[in-house]
This record gives sequence, C-alpha cells and structure tokens, in this order.
Amino acid sequence: MTTKTRYFVIVSLLVLAVGLGTGLVAYYVGFPASAFANRGGPDELRLIPRDATVIAFANVREVMASELRQKIHRALPGQENGQRELQEQTGINLETDVDRVVACLHPERDGVGMPAGGMVLARGRFDETKIEALMREHGAQVEAYKGKRLIADNSIDLQTGKASLALAFVEPGLVALGSTTLIRSAIDLHQGGENPQTDLQSVTGNDELISLVRSLDRTGNAWAVGRFDALASQARLPQNVASQLPAITWFSVGAHVNGGIRGVIRAETRDNEAAGNLRDVVRGFMALAKLQASSKPELQTMMQSLELGGAGKTVALSFAVPAEVFDVIGAIANKAMKPLGH
Amino acid sequence: MTAPPKPTPGAPTLLQSAMRVFDLSLGQMLWSRRSLFLGVLLGGPVLLAIALRVVAALYESEFKINGAQMSGSAVFGLMIWLLYIRFIVPVLGVFYGTSLIADEVDDKTITYLFTRPIPRSAVLLGKYFAYVVCTTLLVLPSVMLVFFLVVPTGGGRIAEAFPALVADLGMLIVGLTAYGAVFALVGTWLKRPLIAGLVFTFGWEPAVMLFPGYLKRLTVAYYLQGLVTHEMPQDSAVSLLMQVFREVPSIATSLLSLAVIVVLTLWLSGRAVEHREYVLEQ
Repeated sequence: MTTKTRYFVIVSLLVLAVGLGTGLVAYYVGFPASAFANRGGPDELRLIPRDATVIAFANVREVMASELRQKIHRALPGQENGQRELQEQTGINLETDVDRVVACLHPERDGVGMPAGGMVLARGRFDETKIEALMREHGAQVEAYKGKRLIADNSIDLQTGKASLALAFVEPGLVALGSTTLIRSAIDLHQGGENPQTDLQSVTGNDELISLVRSLDRTGNAWAVGRFDALASQARLPQNVASQLPAITWFSVGAHVNGGIRGVIRAETRDNEAAGNLRDVVRGFMALAKLQASSKPELQTMMQSLELGGAGKTVALSFAVPAEVFDVIGAIANKAMKPLGH
Repeated sequence: MTAPPKPTPGAPTLLQSAMRVFDLSLGQMLWSRRSLFLGVLLGGPVLLAIALRVVAALYESEFKINGAQMSGSAVFGLMIWLLYIRFIVPVLGVFYGTSLIADEVDDKTITYLFTRPIPRSAVLLGKYFAYVVCTTLLVLPSVMLVFFLVVPTGGGRIAEAFPALVADLGMLIVGLTAYGAVFALVGTWLKRPLIAGLVFTFGWEPAVMLFPGYLKRLTVAYYLQGLVTHEMPQDSAVSLLMQVFREVPSIATSLLSLAVIVVLTLWLSGRAVEHREYVLEQ
C-alpha cells in the first residue's frame, strides 16, 4: 500500500470514527440545548419538557412599544399598579427588562405525584443579586442544582403542601420562574440536552405541537398553542358541561399587537364532522354578535373583520380589533372608575 | 493463453494470495480515472445536503413533499433510499464490479497476473476485496457528512436518528458487497459486461420491482429494501410509491439471501476465472 493510499484510508476511517463517536455521544448522553439547528419557534422551547399541554409566547418588547399599549397606558393609567408590584417584589421592570417570555403549562403526571404546573421563561436584562435578595426577603431559600442557584419559595403551598415555586437563572439573561419540578427539568435540559435514554426530552420533540408553533412563529408578536382535550380533562368540569364541549384536540391563537390586534384562532377537531359542527356554532355566534354590534358603529369594524375559515378538521377564525375599540373600552372603564373615586 | 500454472508446494494460500492482490489493487482503484467519477457521484449528495442546510438556515422552514411535512431524519432517509440504495450503490457495483477482470483483459495485463504462482480466483477475490474497501471508504464518509448536515434541519434529531444511521451504514456495506459480487460474475462471464450491468440495474430491477409476483426475487434490490428502516412521509406521491415497494422480505430473509447471493456469485466468478480462456485482442 502506498503512502497516499494509507493516508486516504486513515482520513476516511477518521471521518467515520468521528461521526460514529459523535452520534454515539448524542445517543447516550444527549447534546446541549443549543447544539445543532433550530426546529422553529423561540430557543427557550428547548428548555420546556416534552409533555407540555400549552405553550405561549409574547414578544414583550414589541407589545410594550406598540401603539395599542401606549393608548391603553394613556386611557387607563391606574392599571400600572400590578407592574409596579412585580418590580417591587422581584426587581423586574416589565417595561424595560424583559424582551420576550415563553410560558408553558404541564399536565398532572399520574403516578409520579407531580401536580400540574407551569413555568415562565423570560429573556431580558435582570439584576440577579437584587432579584435573589428580594426573593429571600419573601422567605425563599437558595439551593444549588447542577451548578445553578435555584431560589425556591417554601412559603408557597400549592395543593401538595410542598415548596412548588422556584426561580433560576438558567443562563445569563434568561430567568425561569415556575414550579420547582419544571425548573429542575429546564436546568437538566439546558445542562445535558436531550437524552432519549433517560427520557429527558424537550417539547421540540413533540411534532404535533411544534408544527403548530412553527405555523405561528413570526406571524405575530404573541401566540399560544395547546391541547384542548388535555386542558378540558384537567379542568375537572361537571360531566354535563364536559359532554357539551366541542371535540377539539388542538387549539392555537396567534396575534399581532400594534395599532390594534389582529390574529387568528385555530382549532383542530377530532374529525371532519366535529369541525363542521364547530363551524356552525361559530357562525351562529358571529351572526348574533354582528346583530348586537349593528347599533354600535365603533364595534362594527371589528365584527366585519371576523372571518371563518379552515378546511377538513381545522376551523379558523381571523379577527382584527381596531384601536378605536380600545378607546371605547377605556372610556367605559374610566366612567366606571370615576364614581369609585368619589 | 496458456493454462494456469499449478501452485508449487509452499506457495501462498488462496487467502494470502488474495490479500497480496488486494494490497496492489486498492491503490490502483483509488487513484484511477474511475475515482473521479466516484468523487462526482458521492459529492452530489453532500452538495445537495449543504444546499438543504443553507436553505433551512436561511428560511427556517421545514421540508415539504406534496404538502407532507418532513423532518431532517425523513429527508435523510429519503436521500439514503433514492440516492444511495437505488442509484449510487448499484452504479458503483456496475462500474467497479464489472471491471475487476474486464479491465485487466482490456489493458492486456491479465497475463501478468495469471502467470503468477497463485490461484487465478485469488486475483478476482483480491480485486473484489479492494473494491469493497475502496467503495466503502468513500461511500460511508459521504453518508456521514450528509447525515450531520441534513438530520438537524426541519426538527430532526441526531440522537434519535443515530440508530437508523448505523443500520444504514451496515445496509450500504451489504449492498456494495452484494452488487459488487453480482457484477463481478457478470464481468467474468460476458464480453460487454458494462452494458449488461446497466440494463440489469436500471432496466430489470426497477421494472420487476413494480410488478407483483416472484420475479422481484431475482433482484438484489428486493432483498436490500428489506433492510431499509426509514419511514417515508405520509400523504405524498413518494409514500404512495413506497407502498408499492412495501412488499418486503424480513431482515433475516434479506440478510440470508444477500449472503447466498454474495457467496454463490463469488464462487461462480472464481470458477469462471479459473476455467475461462481469455483471448487478448491484438
């Protein structure tokens, strides 16, 4: 064998060895959350465990800077109290510190003793020391979990009697707030990445949900997707109410907030027949609403924007709420608040 | 040509002789003009994978075939099936397998090999081993590059797709081995082996695979598709086409049949080389 041939064989075997080695490591250990390509949707989805029933996203920066927000701010200045309270308690100024949030809801995990929980992942600029100090003042305790500081609030009791609310800075500029179990899972996913061997998988592996996310991503600055049937089953509704619910499996809401709000609500039903029934119901409600709005010119534009669509198992309702509608709401709210002031 | 000389006592065994021929042939095969063709053939899927990766990165969109969404793993599976299994592997088998002995005859150098004190079949066997190693060392890295470029796009996952990759690499080696052995036999039997090989690959195999009945059992592709693990996308023309191909033997049957094909065709090739009188055209 000549030297040239020997080098070729070595290089070829090296490519194979590196490839197989990398694949093997991925298979047994998993890759960090940021490794390789994006599946669509915000990066934070990689930190949400696979069994999420609802995921919501909001581009807080865009929403806060929108004309609509400014209009509401001018019309209802008193509504800023909640924002101020959040800043006092956590040191987070919603207006300037947060760029975007991704929130999720998880189902009750039977047999594991884990209650239903939620988590909010906020990306922005946070004063970690101040936030930790404020939370400690409110009775939170700090523990180390896989190299991250997990600030768990033991004073909060949600059904189980255990500490269930925690906060952690998963990476610089990314804070996770929610049930302790979910925060731990988020840290696991961030540190170790996906690992099918240990059943540690993010929601990006949930193809049905992620394809809905992909269809909404970049269409607006706020959206939510979720499993309607899972939510309805957890709501513990009375039997007679539950049986009346339409056979919806998935739902999604996408909206763009700027001068007004325009968006689409989509529902995916179990079969074509259920979709037809749902369309009939929505059509009925739309007719009723248009009838009611005929005497209110400011609502007519909104009513005219309602458009029912979708094909097969999908029912879609698009809408556009103009800024004038919020002027009316603001005027009504101010009118209602004035007598209270006296 | 004269009859092959009888191996002298103490002469190398069939395997030792084959390994000696392998050592000589591997370099010849790798640095021949045919390798340029091989490079183009294997560079195509890599370039396609790079293009897909760039498109996926720029537009952040998933792949769709006839409206059916496809993850990177599914695209990789499709590339393995359509580009490698159905095209590259048979083509490599035809071009390299048929030339194992035919090239030496055309170049009139077969005399130098057949006058050595080694069994004639060792020449074929050594060249066949060189073909398997040469093509394997070129095809497998190409597949590896395609895997890492395509799978992470459109929501595919390296960890999830890795077992399928290992199965694919094994299947490609089996495919190269089987096609090489079949066309080595064609090369030793026929005067114009390349034409016969191309007719078999692109005429006979695709045609009988589409018809119901037993004829498809007279192809290599039928047994090779039994080893394909990839699921095809739903609701598409491709899936419809795949449903036609779905009549597949079990993995055990496929492996056993392919092993029988390799052993039988190599044995027949060896016998043909041992007994055939090669006439060198002046």
